Amino acid sequence: MNEPSIILSDVNARQSVFHRRAFLLGGGITLGVSALAGRLAYLQLVGNARYAKLATSNQFNFRLLPPPRGLITDRNGAILATNRPNFRLLYARQKDQDPADMVATLAAYVPMDDLRRQRVLRDLGNAPRNTPVAIVEDITWEQFSAVNIRATELPGVTADMGEVRVYPHGGAFAHVIGYVAKVNQEDITETGPNAEPIMLHPGFRIGRQGLEKSLDLELRGRPGAQKVEVDALGRQVRLAPGGDIPATPGKEVQLSLDMDLQVRGLELFGEESGAAVLMDCRSGDLLALVSAPSFDANRFVRGLSTAEYKALATYDHKPLFNKALTATYPPGSTFKTLVAVAALEHGIDPEMTIRCPGYWYFGRRRWRCDGVHGPTNMHDAIASSCDTYFYTISLQLGPDKIADVARRFGLGQAYDIGIPGQKKGLVPDTEYKRRNFPRDPRWHIGETPSLGIGQGYTLVNALQQCVSAARMANGRKALTPRLIRAIGGVPQTDGAAAPDMDFDPAHLALVREAMGSVTTRGTAARTGQIGLGDIRMSGKTGTAQGYNYNGGRGIHGTNGPWHLRDHAWFVGFAPHDTPRYAIAVLVEHGGFGAQAAAPRARDLMRLALLKDPELRSRIERPPAPPVSVADSGAGGQGGPA
Amino acid sequence: MTLAGLSLRAERGRLIDKLTQIDGVFCLALILIAVAGALMMFSIAGSSWEPWAANHITRFGVAFVLMVALAVIDLRVWAAIAYPLYAVSLILLVAVELVGDVRLGAQRWLDLGPLGSFQPSEIMKLGLVLALGRFYHGLSADRARMSWWLLIPAAMIGAPTLLVAHQPDLGTAMLLALTGLTVVILAGLSWKIIFAGLGLALVALPPFILFVLQDYQRQRILTFLNPESDPSGTGYHILQSKIALGSGGLLGKGYGLGSQSQLNFLPEKQTDFIFATLAEEFGFVGCATLLLLYLAVIFMSLRTASLAHSHFGRLTAAGVTSTFALYVLINGAMVMGMAPVVGVPMPLLSYGGSVMLTVMVGFGLVQSVRVHRYTEVTASKSSLI
Repeated sequence: MNEPSIILSDVNARQSVFHRRAFLLGGGITLGVSALAGRLAYLQLVGNARYAKLATSNQFNFRLLPPPRGLITDRNGAILATNRPNFRLLYARQKDQDPADMVATLAAYVPMDDLRRQRVLRDLGNAPRNTPVAIVEDITWEQFSAVNIRATELPGVTADMGEVRVYPHGGAFAHVIGYVAKVNQEDITETGPNAEPIMLHPGFRIGRQGLEKSLDLELRGRPGAQKVEVDALGRQVRLAPGGDIPATPGKEVQLSLDMDLQVRGLELFGEESGAAVLMDCRSGDLLALVSAPSFDANRFVRGLSTAEYKALATYDHKPLFNKALTATYPPGSTFKTLVAVAALEHGIDPEMTIRCPGYWYFGRRRWRCDGVHGPTNMHDAIASSCDTYFYTISLQLGPDKIADVARRFGLGQAYDIGIPGQKKGLVPDTEYKRRNFPRDPRWHIGETPSLGIGQGYTLVNALQQCVSAARMANGRKALTPRLIRAIGGVPQTDGAAAPDMDFDPAHLALVREAMGSVTTRGTAARTGQIGLGDIRMSGKTGTAQGYNYNGGRGIHGTNGPWHLRDHAWFVGFAPHDTPRYAIAVLVEHGGFGAQAAAPRARDLMRLALLKDPELRSRIERPPAPPVSVADSGAGGQGGPA
Repeated sequence: MTLAGLSLRAERGRLIDKLTQIDGVFCLALILIAVAGALMMFSIAGSSWEPWAANHITRFGVAFVLMVALAVIDLRVWAAIAYPLYAVSLILLVAVELVGDVRLGAQRWLDLGPLGSFQPSEIMKLGLVLALGRFYHGLSADRARMSWWLLIPAAMIGAPTLLVAHQPDLGTAMLLALTGLTVVILAGLSWKIIFAGLGLALVALPPFILFVLQDYQRQRILTFLNPESDPSGTGYHILQSKIALGSGGLLGKGYGLGSQSQLNFLPEKQTDFIFATLAEEFGFVGCATLLLLYLAVIFMSLRTASLAHSHFGRLTAAGVTSTFALYVLINGAMVMGMAPVVGVPMPLLSYGGSVMLTVMVGFGLVQSVRVHRYTEVTASKSSLI
């Protein structure tokens, strides 16, 4: 150790070193701060535009807005399917949150039963985190505002206003229009329109049945976007002014149906099951396409409970089933009109009479007829629906000639009216037998008589029956039905642009004449009178043995268990002289055609005639000097034929 | 001591004398910075004094009073407590190592029961500066330049640095080391050693990063080098901070209108990244003004150091100044994406009690050096070694 001493020079040395170095330190710090300032200038002045853009993209998000679904109207513009505002409660599962707790909390604000709660929890379990799931739809304004006020205490919960599909006529159009429902996992595809992100929006609905399904893309529209300000967690803070992209609404679809006729058609069935189709026999426009009983499509939009669905699915009258298109039945005696056309075409004299003793022997088997008609020509055979006559002439014609005519009348085929899932039915011939019965490929002659009266293999649906009646009434064109009149204002081709059927007009006129007698003095004389002055309805009744045709030994009429009874048919057209509308009515297990089907056809046809301005003026015209109306017994509201 | 010095009136007179010696402009600069901080906290809390702004102002007020109180303490008293304070800090750091609380994955906190908890590393920042100043006060220029005596300050710096780094709190460790080295250099360390050390550090850096650092620390450095590589993960902080800064532009988005901070895109918006908040709402003009304020504080503090007659006063004031400057530079560089994310706040601007206390106690020492700039510190040995 040195001897301690204070050396002045040393003190000065330390001081001057410190001063030099402190000066350097100050310089160094200044340099450092200048570097910061330079960096700041670079970020804030040079990079400003870029970072401002990044900040904006942080701040604002575009939220998809589901487009308003296209309206569906009837031919006169009456609304059949529309959208109404819907306040609903959405909840997106957050990190560190038990959805069950949140649902329990929400139950304090909106009513939720246990079933609903389970359903919601299941939906939440399936949905990815942060994806909003609808907790309750259609809450009241009070509930909506109660939740909105407490939004900050309920992270992940939003109450918003969306739109919900509504079908103002309940069940009347349920089978035609179908319904929309929530999007399932299976609906989402990898590519195409069903891959779009709007599919995941909780307010979005996809067409699930009927036209809603087949025209889904037309009705859907294009989603818009709403500019919203979001925080770092992606939660909406507020709506941003401007910058919204409006949604493009779906196209409006106009149907050829007439709202009044359709609603009336459903009402006419009451508790019965069946179908009614009414069609313009000049243009092919369908004015009614009813299947009964029906269901409330609005329930499906909201989401059906299992119990509700089970009740619909297990009811033996099959309300979910479109009986006008997807159910086929034997045509029964209505088929005789076509057999008659085939007979005329192949040279059978309509004035030739066949004696009907009330039964008919083929080989050793006895076939029965509904009545003892005595000597019967073609006109009378149609009017009184004589089986014996048609057993005989069908045997003369053979199956192939009958089948050919039936097909030209439009049976055995599906029509492109925009509703998928139609059944084509069956028009049997020797070719059919050969192809489908490898063990017994030959057409047995004994199978022909039942074909002649519309039994056997023959199967038709109500739409085909109506088309057939319309072609008969039209007399010339092979009309096709049209259901969709216009999509987005663009008219769809109508059924009048159809080729000719190539029948001798005189033959069809003859059959039509006979059909006129059905409602004046034939099978439907008491139940087929529409009572509109000199306008009359022509038609043909049919009683089809669906369950087990056995040479007419089935359960007849309204006896026996419901599901074993005959199906009742009526096909026809009106007015009888200048046909305007064709109709086909089926009452499933309804018993006799004249009893169950004809009155319903009459009532529906009467409404159609009254709604037609042209015919209405004819009805209201002062009656011409007495014509032969008296012999039909005006106001024929009689009992069964 | 004269007789007059013992009278109460004279004592009071001397106290008032001392108080007038405190640098008023310096105090004003500190107040402006603290108020700017409170202003930003008010803004990001959605125009509310709660939860940060009121607290911040209160803390600053208390710390300011403390600073003034410390300023009148005789420099010789500071010199006398230098070694004991250092020793106590070192013991506490060891204690933290043994019984400290683990918070956020690092063992930094010492629980004092009802008194709450604190970080001994904060006291060490001051203790180290005082102890080094005290040591060099008695060391000749020659020995301070290059001699075996220098192993003592090396150990004085090394021990707390390693202890803090082991917690692990790399930011504070770096701050301690750099503050200590600044004092050593100011005391007259040979340039040869300085450059040799710098060269050695450069060589040692890659293996240090590869083998000594923890995974998350390494990740931070990688992220710093390429922040866009992982914008939603570790690079998120840096990226969002840069967006906040850059989107501020020349004049800023306006008070209370910073979308990055108001909508929580900016992490730690009231603490480590408050500078970015300010930059977003007040733009380049606001930032430059603030940086000038900081620079003014630093220069006034350095000038105080230069004016001191005692070597102890010079070195301690300069040491505190360098700590403060390092805070500003490291935080600034971090917020601007020029340095990895380390938990170093912007002094006086950021929310947080312990750093505010450390800085203000340090400035108490600086003001004490100013008030007592003519005081000769003879301390225990009235001699130079």
